[in-house]
Amino acid sequence: MGTILFYSIPVFLIVLSLFVGPSDVVRSADIVLWIQQKVGVISGEQSDATLMVDAIILNVRLPRVLLTFLVGSALTMSGSALQALFKNPLVSPDILGLSAGAAFGAALALAVHALPLQLTSFVFGLIAVGMSYFIARGKRSVSTVSLILAGIIVSGIFTAGLTFVQFVTDPFRLQTIVHWTMGNLHTASWEKVTSSVIPILFGAAWLLFMRWRMNVISLGDEEAKAVGLNPEKEKVMILVPATLIATASVAVAGIIAMVGLAVPHMIRMVTGPDNRKIQPAAFVAGGSFLLVIDTIARTVATFEIPIGLFTTLIGGPFFIVLLKKSRMLYREN
Amino acid sequence: MGVTVRELSFDYGGAEVLQGVTFDVPGGEFSIILGKNGSGKSTLLKLIAGILPYRQGHIFVDGYDLKRLSVSEKARLVGYLPQFHAPVFPFTVEDVVLTGRASFVFAVPGRRDREKAREAIERVGISHLLHRPYTELSGGERQLVMIARVLAQEPNVVLLDEPLSHLDLSNQVRLLSLIRQLVSSGLTVLAVLHEPNIAFLHGDAFVLLKDGKIRTLGRGERPWDSATLQDLYDVAVETLPFRDRALVVPI
Repeated sequence: MGTILFYSIPVFLIVLSLFVGPSDVVRSADIVLWIQQKVGVISGEQSDATLMVDAIILNVRLPRVLLTFLVGSALTMSGSALQALFKNPLVSPDILGLSAGAAFGAALALAVHALPLQLTSFVFGLIAVGMSYFIARGKRSVSTVSLILAGIIVSGIFTAGLTFVQFVTDPFRLQTIVHWTMGNLHTASWEKVTSSVIPILFGAAWLLFMRWRMNVISLGDEEAKAVGLNPEKEKVMILVPATLIATASVAVAGIIAMVGLAVPHMIRMVTGPDNRKIQPAAFVAGGSFLLVIDTIARTVATFEIPIGLFTTLIGGPFFIVLLKKSRMLYREN
Repeated sequence: MGVTVRELSFDYGGAEVLQGVTFDVPGGEFSIILGKNGSGKSTLLKLIAGILPYRQGHIFVDGYDLKRLSVSEKARLVGYLPQFHAPVFPFTVEDVVLTGRASFVFAVPGRRDREKAREAIERVGISHLLHRPYTELSGGERQLVMIARVLAQEPNVVLLDEPLSHLDLSNQVRLLSLIRQLVSSGLTVLAVLHEPNIAFLHGDAFVLLKDGKIRTLGRGERPWDSATLQDLYDVAVETLPFRDRALVVPI
């Protein structure tokens, strides 16, 4: 019963978010009229007002709501998968340099119009993770510490690259880049939804398949090998889909901080450490979390607040309180 | 049946840890590796467990060449209890034991796997810990959980690296009788033990390891002879006859 309720949360939230927004041109009476026309309770000519409702809800809010949900789900699933993979609750998509790589790629595409935004960002995200992985790779194995160190270095390189792109870009385009790096969802469109939905759903399904293996891997390399899993192979099988969904999300929404780090913790506080529960919960709760925050972000002010600022301002303190209260759910090692 | 090791050498990139080691572990018996710290005991177990790759020598488990087996084929043949273990995430005891089923699982363990995990937990006698977080257990309890994990794996050969460390007297006795049970049900058990008295009281066969080499026994020489032990551990010991073997007293 509780499970059904939990998994139906997104449906309610998505529908609710459609009817919330700052647009003065959409009056609630017109929305009611529009719904009645849509479900066929009343028939007749569409008025200008209901046509406007039609356009705003179906072409502005619906793609934004769907995109927001997908991005939230992707960052949360990716973050929790990486935390299990690296046996480290402090890891997030940012730590491997993949966010920085994707951000550099996107900035490059924004500066040089010939490059396709989504693809460039995706490719550089993958390059960044590949770099971290191969820098960290020893003779036979990839140690956690060296991987995180490599991630920090790679992040630094791509962040410097991003700064350089900003430095040489003309002021008009610079503004677009700066806005994009802050993370925002108000540029959502059907085009962005369709370009990200396939990689995100594909990667999410892949991670769901790997969810129990994450448990085995997070016990340690020797412990995984002893029971018949090749840790190096399994790590790649987790790393690739986790990277895919995180870069796909950065490509459409920029860097949205805190989600990939904080939401997995919040989920773990409820579900416990079993990734069989965490991964599906991450899809639902991660999407719902970002959707709620974005709905607030676009409702409270008359102008658009970049979502990345909001997630940090709300998620940060919330996370600190939870962390203090939870008596640390994992061992210090 | 059992484990056959031939001319096995190994190094971690520096000095040789094992130098041309050759010995047999008889099937269906409890064999014990004895030797000083750093003599290569744990390395030897890791090699047989397939945790470390080796270039020189041969290892056969129940007649299978270890080199020709995949990681999951090895896991169905050999179970291994590592020496230290401290995970970061507070998995329940049940979830930790369930990971022993990895070589049988496609994506997510099924009902049969959960049953096998429960059986192993009951067999070790820790059913009361089923839903406890592994990270909150004492060292001894954790050791028992990891042994249950090895049993859930259903291997033919069980390798135990210091299984009695952290265990109190009652748990030591319980584990030793469990090992005896496993052996009489046909399993081969090979353990590294630090306590020679327990080894001589409970072991069927002994592998003596000194400086990365097998110390072979001369004619009429027995592992529990004081001269043998003095040579193996480089300390003076006296032995007292006990049952048909001996108790070792450090002096």
